[in-house]
Amino acid sequence: MEKHKEYFLLCKKYKAQLKNKKLEIPSFQLQKNGQLKIQQMAFMLIAVTIFFVLVGMFVLAFKFSDLKKTATDLEEKNAMLLVTKLANSPELSCGEAFGTGKTNCIDTDKVIVLNKKDYEGFWGNANIEIRKIYPKTNGEDVVCELNNYPNCDIIKVSSGDLSGFDTSNFVALCRKESSDSGVNDKCELGKLIVNYKSTW
Amino acid sequence: MGEKGFLQFSFAWLFAIVVGAFILFLAIFFVSKLIGQGQAETDAKTGKEIGILLNPLETGFESAKTLSLTMPVETRIYNKCDNHTGNFGKQLIQISQKSFNRWTETDIDISFINKYLFSEGYVEGKKFNIFSKPFEFPFKVSDLIYITPSSKNYCFVGAPTEIEEEITSLGQQNLFIKNCPEESVKICFGGANSCDIKVDYEGGFVQKNSKKLYFYGKALMYAAIFSDSETYECQLKRLMQRTEQLAILYDDKANFVSRYGCDSNLGLLQLSNSADSFKDSGGLNLIFSEVEQIKMQHDGASCKLW
Repeated sequence: MEKHKEYFLLCKKYKAQLKNKKLEIPSFQLQKNGQLKIQQMAFMLIAVTIFFVLVGMFVLAFKFSDLKKTATDLEEKNAMLLVTKLANSPELSCGEAFGTGKTNCIDTDKVIVLNKKDYEGFWGNANIEIRKIYPKTNGEDVVCELNNYPNCDIIKVSSGDLSGFDTSNFVALCRKESSDSGVNDKCELGKLIVNYKSTW
Repeated sequence: MGEKGFLQFSFAWLFAIVVGAFILFLAIFFVSKLIGQGQAETDAKTGKEIGILLNPLETGFESAKTLSLTMPVETRIYNKCDNHTGNFGKQLIQISQKSFNRWTETDIDISFINKYLFSEGYVEGKKFNIFSKPFEFPFKVSDLIYITPSSKNYCFVGAPTEIEEEITSLGQQNLFIKNCPEESVKICFGGANSCDIKVDYEGGFVQKNSKKLYFYGKALMYAAIFSDSETYECQLKRLMQRTEQLAILYDDKANFVSRYGCDSNLGLLQLSNSADSFKDSGGLNLIFSEVEQIKMQHDGASCKLW
């Protein structure tokens, strides 16, 4: 009888253990499934974010390069149109100072006394230079200053140096010259150079 | 068990919705920013292009030059003037274009130091008529550029023959001297009635909106006709700033060429000072006599400076 009782108690304990186990197994599976889904979603989110960032960077890089090209094209266009008309600007033009009116004529007596600092950026970002082509002074390029003028070849209208691309136009460089017969007008062949930098 | 399944489903959806909404918001935000930036970029590019296209309007010995500008879409060109920056002030233009039946908003100013645009505060249209004339005071100071929308007609009534001839030779389709369309801006020379703008050519002033704008020469007369009073006064101040610098330049040149025996005493520094103290068009008559005197002396000189 007692043996039966012991067996009954053992069975009850085993059943209780089994019941506990039965309860434990589904609860663990539930937690694992949820974690897995959150992990999947997190990975998905990271992938989506990276995808959008990459697409954004590609779009920005494309737009930025396009913008740079546009800026360079506009600078080029500006330089080309500027060089054809710059000689008519009152700061450079001969006007009627050398007899009859002349187009594409630069008064070098005026340009040499032009204060570069006052005219900084006046014609945009372009660097402007005037070069005497013929006759050359001593066969080399001498930059004009007030003390060596007119025995020089290059007059810098803006303070920057030429770099990048440039466009040019042939012009007449006219100045006053004294001789035995009095004051004469002297015109030589020159080139007006407008320089622009490429951002492309 | 059923309750837990429901909770799990609900959390996943909630999470996806919140994060999805955030991603969508970010995407929409950046796309709208990019579109706005693209429009601003187009406006800025158009502004710069217009400025560049105005380069050929620089005159040599021509009395005027014309140009027609056709835009691909309806465009507003805002004409702004700044006479406080640097030695010459600045010409600023802002472009707004119609996109999806709305005007684009931009605060990008395209600036030019060597240009002088005369127009209303803004001009609107697809096609614009532009012409330029040199302003001499007494030397050439700059070319003045006038912009009008081709849809706005101007009727010149009773203009002197020289003005009529000039308007005819300009060949601009919105400027009339006879057979004026009904809804055109009426510009009267002399004492005609019901005029939008009155010009006293001999007295040297233009009267519009009960304001008197004084001018010197035909170039400034057109400037006063085609622009509003604020733009006119501001650009005139800028022109005086350039006159001041040019007077100094010609005075320096006069000193420089005197070494060749080219003597000239024109009183250019006085003109420079007068231009420096210029306030508004009402003060033009104070400089007028100086300019006339310098012009007369220079015309008679053997060594010309300009």
